[in-house]
Amino acid sequence: MKSCIFPAFTLATILLTGGPAAIAQSGPEETPAAESAADTDPMQDPMQIVRGAKAWNETCSRCHNLRSPSELTDEEWDVSVTHMRVRGNLPASDVRDILAFLQASNNQ
Amino acid sequence: MTCAKYRSMVLATVALIGLPALAQETQEQSPPDPQTAALLERIEQLEAELADLRGEVLQSAETASKAEATAQDAVDRIAEVQDQTSPGPAYAVSPGMPDTKWHLAGYADVGFVGGDTSGPDSFVSGKFNPSFHFQYKDFLLFEGEFEYATTGDGETESELEYSQIDLVLNDHAVLVVGKYLSPIGQFQERLHPSWINKVQGAPAGFGHDGVQPASDTGVQLRGSIPAGVTRLTYALAVGNGPRTTSEGGVELMGMGSDDNSNKSIGGRIGFFPMPALEVGGSYLTARVDGIMNPDMPVPSGSGLPLDARFQLWGVDAAYTKGPLAARFEYLKSERGKLFTATDEEPDGVLLPDLEMEAWYGQVSYRLSGFSDSEIIHRLEPVVRYGEFSISGHPELEEENAQNRLNAGLNYWLAPTIVAKAGLEWRDYTVPGVPDETLIQFQLGYGF
Repeated sequence: MKSCIFPAFTLATILLTGGPAAIAQSGPEETPAAESAADTDPMQDPMQIVRGAKAWNETCSRCHNLRSPSELTDEEWDVSVTHMRVRGNLPASDVRDILAFLQASNNQ
Repeated sequence: MTCAKYRSMVLATVALIGLPALAQETQEQSPPDPQTAALLERIEQLEAELADLRGEVLQSAETASKAEATAQDAVDRIAEVQDQTSPGPAYAVSPGMPDTKWHLAGYADVGFVGGDTSGPDSFVSGKFNPSFHFQYKDFLLFEGEFEYATTGDGETESELEYSQIDLVLNDHAVLVVGKYLSPIGQFQERLHPSWINKVQGAPAGFGHDGVQPASDTGVQLRGSIPAGVTRLTYALAVGNGPRTTSEGGVELMGMGSDDNSNKSIGGRIGFFPMPALEVGGSYLTARVDGIMNPDMPVPSGSGLPLDARFQLWGVDAAYTKGPLAARFEYLKSERGKLFTATDEEPDGVLLPDLEMEAWYGQVSYRLSGFSDSEIIHRLEPVVRYGEFSISGHPELEEENAQNRLNAGLNYWLAPTIVAKAGLEWRDYTVPGVPDETLIQFQLGYGF
């Protein structure tokens, strides 16, 4: 494949997702991911913690033992779960539930 | 008419109208009969009772009003206490966090390798792999990992395992740019850290000089699409791709720049028909150039293949439920004929087609439900068998082609700290190459 095709392919792939456009239009405060902050409020959805505990057990243990929620602070879990979202190709809905469970369970 | 007549008429009218009334009034003022008197007395009693009831109702209303006020005070107090306590850790999530958050993680291991091998029994310093994660709000993550190790002659070797920026595009897509671990297969991207890997080393063919790509530099689009309990995952990558080594092999790791303008295209599709089962397929295609030394005779026009197609495909599966983890991976790569300079042939040599094939199956089981013993709970036996074959490169084949069996017992000191003891039998497939039996101990810690 000629080299000029690759940038076009890459650009097209990125544009097809519409993600950067969404971020540019909404600004950092209103990115789809930023909206997830409200979605991780168990006060609005008490069952989220239950779903999160289930997803945590099913998802994380596919590759490694389960860390205790108390090992990390809320901030650290936020970063760690994002890292695992990318590494493990986790669905965002599962990520939000797992994060809510871990932050509600770490006693910090 | 005279006044006298008027007076007479008025008096007569009054008399006619008023006299019967006067007569009636005279009758009412007379003592009532006994029945009427009883009724009147009864009416007076009822009026008294009604007055009492009115008083009681008023008193009840006043009591109810006081109770309502007391209840309202209690509700206000509860709300006040909730306001003071509810921002606690259980439900305080993202809104109170800073824009930039970070997390230091990684793993390290130390160990011992001995047995019937070509080398001496030796303690090994293992690896130290710190990884750094910096996240901006909820949509951008930088992650990078170094690997430090001490070589046999005491030198410290370091390598940037990956250094990537992840941009969360939406719920189903993340854009990854930089140097990243190869998304081909499962082992390299997810299972190789020593606190995750159930065995001391990589399966045959899945480490260095194997068929498994280690990393690449480029751009990835990856994510997941959930549907009920099923999940579809994808990782599509465009990168610099592999490169020809000075030994005539193929180096599958992320380079800081490309040696040609052809980019590799590859990735992996995974599917979870149920939460415990994952199946996947991987593919990579690229072109690799031969190495041209500056003083090498230019073979242009000779019809020699100065570059070659490289492609790789594989399948994988994993079943993980409770204490059981069973895995299988298969990878095969092919590179066409290639004219290139090598360490042994600096003026160039035409290499034949190169094929590599590797697979492994692994089963581990944590004995957590077998006994009340705390020690038994922490034990995890593991068995892995794999094969790695090479054709088209005799030196690589002699050095690496083998059937490998691992049997080990792990003891988990903590969920991320494991002590491993195991045996590894290497049955080299090239005739004349002596087989090896390794005794391996390793202590791995994920942090």
